[in-house]
Amino acid sequence: MKNIKLSTVRYQLRQSGFAILALISLGFSISAKAQQTEGMVTYEYKYYWTKVNSRLTFLSKEEKDRMKLTWGNEEDGPGTKMKLTFNDKQSIYTYFSDQGQTEDGRYSWRQSDYLIHRNFEQEKLIENHEMLGKTYLLEDSLMTYNWRIQNQIKDVAGYVCMKAETFDPIKNHKITAWFAQDIPVPAGPERYFGLPGLILELDINDGDVIVAAQKVELKNVDKELALPKMKGKKIKNNDYDQMLKKHIFDSIKAQRNPYWSIRY
Amino acid sequence: MRKLLLLALLWPCMSVLYAQTPNRFQIQGITADTSSTPLGSATVMLLQRKDSSLVNFTRTNDKGAFAMRNVKRGDYLLKISYVGYIPFQQDIIFGDKEIVDLGTLKLKAITKELFEVVVKTARAPLSIKGDTIEYNAASFKVPPGSTVEDLLRKLPGVQVDQNGNIIAQGQQVQKVTVDGKRFFGSDPKMATQNLPADAITKVQIFNDKTEQSKVTGVDDGKQEKTVNLELKEGFKKGGFGKLTAGLGADGNGNAGPRGEIKGNYNKFDDKNQFSVIGLTNNTNQTGMSWDDYQDFRGSSSFNSWNDNGDFGFGGGGGRFIIIGGDDDGGLSIPVGGGNGRGYSNNIAGGINYNYNTKKIKTNASYYYNSTRQVVDAVRNRENFLQNGSFKTEEESSQINFVGNHRLSFRHEQTVDSLNAFIFTNNSRYNVGDTRLNSLQEFFRNNNFKSNETTINNATNVDKIETANTLIYRLKFKKNKGRSFAASASYNFTNNDGIADQKSLNLFYNATDPTDVMRRMLDLTNNTGSRVSQIKSSLLFVEPFAKRFFWESFVNLSYRSDNVDRDVFDLAKDSGRRVPVDSLSSFYKNSYNYARIGSSVRYSYKGLNFSGGLAVQSFQIDGKFALGQNPASFININRRFTTWIPNASLNYDLKNNRYLWSGYDVSVSQPSTRDLQPVIDNSNPLIIRQGNPDLLPTVNHNINFGYNMFNPASFMNVNVNMYYSYNVNQVVYNQQVDPTTLITVTKPVNITGGQNIGSYIGFGFPIKKTKASMNINFNPGFSKNLTPINGVLNQTNTDSYRFGTRLDLTPSDNFTIFANANWSVSNTRYSINTGQNQQIVNHSYGGTMNIRLPKDFFINSNLNYQIYKNERFGFNQQVPILNTSIYKILGKAKKAEIRLSIYDVFNRNLGVSQFANQNYVSQERIQTLARYGMLSFTYNMRGMNTNIKRRGGFF
Repeated sequence: MKNIKLSTVRYQLRQSGFAILALISLGFSISAKAQQTEGMVTYEYKYYWTKVNSRLTFLSKEEKDRMKLTWGNEEDGPGTKMKLTFNDKQSIYTYFSDQGQTEDGRYSWRQSDYLIHRNFEQEKLIENHEMLGKTYLLEDSLMTYNWRIQNQIKDVAGYVCMKAETFDPIKNHKITAWFAQDIPVPAGPERYFGLPGLILELDINDGDVIVAAQKVELKNVDKELALPKMKGKKIKNNDYDQMLKKHIFDSIKAQRNPYWSIRY
Repeated sequence: MRKLLLLALLWPCMSVLYAQTPNRFQIQGITADTSSTPLGSATVMLLQRKDSSLVNFTRTNDKGAFAMRNVKRGDYLLKISYVGYIPFQQDIIFGDKEIVDLGTLKLKAITKELFEVVVKTARAPLSIKGDTIEYNAASFKVPPGSTVEDLLRKLPGVQVDQNGNIIAQGQQVQKVTVDGKRFFGSDPKMATQNLPADAITKVQIFNDKTEQSKVTGVDDGKQEKTVNLELKEGFKKGGFGKLTAGLGADGNGNAGPRGEIKGNYNKFDDKNQFSVIGLTNNTNQTGMSWDDYQDFRGSSSFNSWNDNGDFGFGGGGGRFIIIGGDDDGGLSIPVGGGNGRGYSNNIAGGINYNYNTKKIKTNASYYYNSTRQVVDAVRNRENFLQNGSFKTEEESSQINFVGNHRLSFRHEQTVDSLNAFIFTNNSRYNVGDTRLNSLQEFFRNNNFKSNETTINNATNVDKIETANTLIYRLKFKKNKGRSFAASASYNFTNNDGIADQKSLNLFYNATDPTDVMRRMLDLTNNTGSRVSQIKSSLLFVEPFAKRFFWESFVNLSYRSDNVDRDVFDLAKDSGRRVPVDSLSSFYKNSYNYARIGSSVRYSYKGLNFSGGLAVQSFQIDGKFALGQNPASFININRRFTTWIPNASLNYDLKNNRYLWSGYDVSVSQPSTRDLQPVIDNSNPLIIRQGNPDLLPTVNHNINFGYNMFNPASFMNVNVNMYYSYNVNQVVYNQQVDPTTLITVTKPVNITGGQNIGSYIGFGFPIKKTKASMNINFNPGFSKNLTPINGVLNQTNTDSYRFGTRLDLTPSDNFTIFANANWSVSNTRYSINTGQNQQIVNHSYGGTMNIRLPKDFFINSNLNYQIYKNERFGFNQQVPILNTSIYKILGKAKKAEIRLSIYDVFNRNLGVSQFANQNYVSQERIQTLARYGMLSFTYNMRGMNTNIKRRGGFF
């Protein structure tokens, strides 16, 4: 694994009035706020379960087609709103609201505990996962991802983002991230981070899950970055990975869907 | 100080070392645009050249300068990105100097319009491959059915003139290729005007060499503007189908050959789903399986849950898909194999079409099914009186035919984010006829035959029914959670029936066997009935406080029934039709129903509670007369008002544990037939009388449940309990004439019948992934009240069911799923304790699958049922074993040949026994038993070779 020395990343304010002038003259709307390195992003997390279930190796082609034809059109509904609070030193990613709700709000449900904390300065992480019938508190040092930078750009929530890819060997997922060139913070949604810019869109395994930014607010978030009290069985990166690996393996072997009880 | 000194001493050595082979480098440079303006805050990334892995990154300062220190020697690529510019790339070449200075690196701007339109407006990803910029055509919205030409008009820098000529970046496009290949010859318009826009994923515009230079290999310096269209990978479109045909021999000599044919075909793309299905057999498979149903209906399989227009709680009367059972009615397509009794010949087929977009969901389908069933049955029944009992023995032979044409149409439209409506129509045309020949014998306590009836009945039914509902839903922009819904329905049923009843009744006098009283009956009934109903409901939801909702509803319904029954006697006057006024009747009823109710709902973090109260008024205005041309009518005018409370609780606990509870009250109105003060003696031994004083039945239900599942250990627990109490239950009061054994029944209201019960289930793995077990226990206690000859009889039934299942999946080649169920029910009668009895039903079942080499498989399925009733000396054992061996054919595993033997032991008998109120009954029906069949299946999507799992949702 290559070393990404995050501490060596320098975030500088763009002061060149000339450059800004040039940009404005080109018609680009990049305001001065783009230089900020703290704020909050609201994401929409969409889980395409017929796609996920199509990955289940024990289902026949017929069963997969049946599922897609029956339910494939039902997946246009809104996803779960998530929020990422960040500055250049740390980030917290969790649910936007404290409960799950139907669109009209008449029915609500509990959301499994889920909070991802990254501390880039101390290279530490804290994660709270309710999964597999238990609540876990993962505390360890930051892992590294081998990001491959791609020659593709697109706009996400008003920011031009560049594409990067990596691979999750535990869940066997292809990960595609789109990071903002204008927000020089290595934070991102779910468990992903470590790019030269803030990740505004995440595509897990070719569209099985899409986490896309809907709103980016650059503001002071020192208050919001305070960690809430979290309880759970203490666990380390390695055990966490092993546990997931075992669960996926056992479930597939027993011909059960491993994915609904873990974060995909 | 000392350290400094040391450093100073060492410095020359170190620099020498570095000068020779530096292993840490500093890469530096300056970024600027093409007019040499420095680009500050550009992202500078150091990537591994082989796979673009990110090694290090930094940002340029305001002068556009950057430096990366401490870089190890390697094979790198430097990449610089800056908003609005084409990302810059350069290989890093390490020399022998510690500092690698790249000088000024110039970034090219992305064309303004490309950036604004493609990136900013269409939000399409832009890919940069050297000179070529490609973008995702899917991001440019064009109406469905548009061609590529329409799409190109939308793209920045592209114009299409009236003749279809394409001008890109100011130059005429000479060539249009699809996936890099020429499409339809040399005319570029051929591709753009013929290809649908939604088949394209990417559009690339670039300069290509001329054909001339390609052929000659000599670059003539000229370049042609080329548009390349990339087709969607696996453009969501396809078709699949399945066909099974089988032929076999019946193991029971004269029963004739067995056969089945079943097929379906589907064609779909991302908006349209079209399917056909057809089946015919004489193997008692009356309809489609659930899988077939889902394949047939596609996206419309389960949409009816949303189509209930009867808002409000409890007994709203939703529509459900019929699961199993006979096709006795209903507008929904029947699913399941029927009850498998007797012998049946079946034909079914249909077509279905779905159209789905984000805003519109349309479904139309037609389905026909018919069944001709032969049922030869032997029935025993014992009725209890205050003192003693009498027995009935019946031998009957019945042939039923039923045919249904069903049409359904559904349209759901989301007008905008606030308005939506759903229209549904379900219609059925049903024809049916039955022929029944039956001999019933009645025995007294001492097994003395007291009566005998021979029945020859025939019926013909011709029925049309239709149900139409329009639902409108409105949300409010300002107040999230406030909503309004309105529905209107019109239902209509027309039913014409002819019933011919012939019977001969012999009454043996108890004292003198030769003194036989004969009663002949030969009647024909013509019944015409028309029922129409108009319904409407309103629902209003107001979030009146944080986490609280106030829900109010109104249900209104008007129903009108017209029934005309003309009965003729054919026996009196040697076959001439003589009207029988005492049996002929005419009635016209109208029902007005109104309900208004309100409830408060609390919802927060998975705790959902709702409690409410409704009041309903039910009014019957009927007129009724006997005779075929009645002059005067009896009027029935009744009005009932009932209060209905309702409460429900759902609690979503941590770690996959759920709790729920509910209390509801359902009200059922007395049927008009029960209210009419008429005597129905169509069955001379059971005479029915109406009761105009009946009150509605009110049923109170309480339930409670809990379930949990541990996904890590695969353990689950399910518990639920229910209690119900009946107020004014409609029960048939029975008066049995001790000499003739003629029973006169009359409905009366009785309060006090109740049921209480529970289900407890527990599942756990014995060895994870290899063996798992499920245990369930299901006790139930019921109390039923029936007046018999003026005395109130109380029937108590205590039943205990215990079941267990064992799944063994030791390998991919061998699996066993076994189950056992034991059920005991004790019935006690208060007026005749001597008749108390115990009914025992046990069943043992198992499925075994074996995968053999060369794609051979064996599947065996045993179902062993044991029925016992000691009081009657009844002990029936029915082991049914089905077994088959099959081979999957071909490399693609798309075909299968299968040899099956059904009911290997030839023991299939339709057996049932039942004890209730004041009688016990048993029934045995001659049913399709052993047969063998050789069948062939072709499945375009491949056969399923998985032997581990047995259905279920994922």
